[in-house]
Amino acid sequence: MRVKLQPAFVLHSRPYRDSSQILDVLTAEYGRLALVAKGSRRSRRGGSAGAILQPFIPLLVSFSGRSEMKTLVASEMASNPLALGGDRLFSAMYLNELMVRLLHHHDPHPVLFVAYADTLRALNDEGCQLHAQLRRFEFTLLCELGFGFELAQEGGSGEAVTDDGWYGFDADYGLVHLGSPSNGQRAAFPGSDLKLMAAGEFGEPVKSTAKRLLRLALAQHLGDKPIKSRDLFRRT
Amino acid sequence: MNFSPAIEDLIQALRCLPGVGPKSAQRMTLHLLERDRAGADNLAAALLDAVNKVDHCQRCRNFTELDICEICIDPRRDTSIICVVETPADVLAVEMSGSFKGIYYVLMGHLSPIDGIGPEEIGLDRFHRRVVEEGVSEVILATNPTVEGEATAYYLIDLLQGDGVKVSRIAHGVPLGGELEYVDGSTLAHALTGRRQVE
Ligand SMILES: [Zn+2]
Repeated sequence: MRVKLQPAFVLHSRPYRDSSQILDVLTAEYGRLALVAKGSRRSRRGGSAGAILQPFIPLLVSFSGRSEMKTLVASEMASNPLALGGDRLFSAMYLNELMVRLLHHHDPHPVLFVAYADTLRALNDEGCQLHAQLRRFEFTLLCELGFGFELAQEGGSGEAVTDDGWYGFDADYGLVHLGSPSNGQRAAFPGSDLKLMAAGEFGEPVKSTAKRLLRLALAQHLGDKPIKSRDLFRRT
Repeated sequence: MNFSPAIEDLIQALRCLPGVGPKSAQRMTLHLLERDRAGADNLAAALLDAVNKVDHCQRCRNFTELDICEICIDPRRDTSIICVVETPADVLAVEMSGSFKGIYYVLMGHLSPIDGIGPEEIGLDRFHRRVVEEGVSEVILATNPTVEGEATAYYLIDLLQGDGVKVSRIAHGVPLGGELEYVDGSTLAHALTGRRQVE
């Protein structure tokens, strides 16, 4: 297998041998892969050979190999690196942790790759609505993994979600209509918010609903181990 | 053919070193036994000695054989300025520059959530308490210009905000003697963001 100039992002890396690294990358066409970057921790004239092999830098990578782990043959920047700081950086790290936890190696996810690149580009803007970006990405990720659910319909009956109805979430069925309006219940979601989300709204108007619903939906697949990046947000 | 149990044990033991695979471990073992018995004796004694004597400094977490390390107890050092670094090797690097007269705080790592390392694991809140309790006036963040190093710096900047402490981040960029043409784009971008006005 020999692949040339494949768009990719490094999700994570760890040192390997004296001067090499094992990169966990998300590629446009081949999904998540492990790549050995030989000698990438060795210094080079005027810089370090592996300095661009960092998360959040749009890359073009060439790799080859027949085994599970491929060898990085060449890499270059595809466009300017992003200048992520503070909560925007922590958010981007959260996306990476989610993907490392949920994506399998060698499963192509071209739609997710585009969504990820778009989200990073949006996070690069200091004025962006962080939570809207994160929630939209989380929903795309769930759909890509085959765990998506309808936001405007009940999962079991297929009946349309109504503005004044209240809904619960079930991992197998998706949204389920709750008999009585239960304002105090944590796992109850108002139909009006769900309909907004179905229309593509993940921002301020649905902030609390989107956060609770997607966290619940993700939790089914994340298991007991907590998402560590959440510790980085101190006041949100 | 198998080596004798003692030889096998040594080969296995050497594999705990970073970057040492089975082949290198075997080469090292045979070298020590065949050609350098005195060196092997020395290595064994030094290893045991270091493991028994070296611990973390109670103030800066750097390695030391004392309760509090030589830098922390040196009366000539300015204890109101703390330089935060990731590893003991970084302390050595800053010391070599000879331009820093404050004291250090060694994180022994950086924030890396995917590896399970959050603020608590590298003692960031403990460091914050110390800064407040001891009335530290300046904190210099000298974590690496990697994503993890940057995240660690941002977290500390946020943590220290509002405590009346002056916080600065060391500049990263083009190395001395480096040629722009060979500097990669991300390093150059860093150098441009951290640029200073010429006076
Ligand atoms: Zn000390």
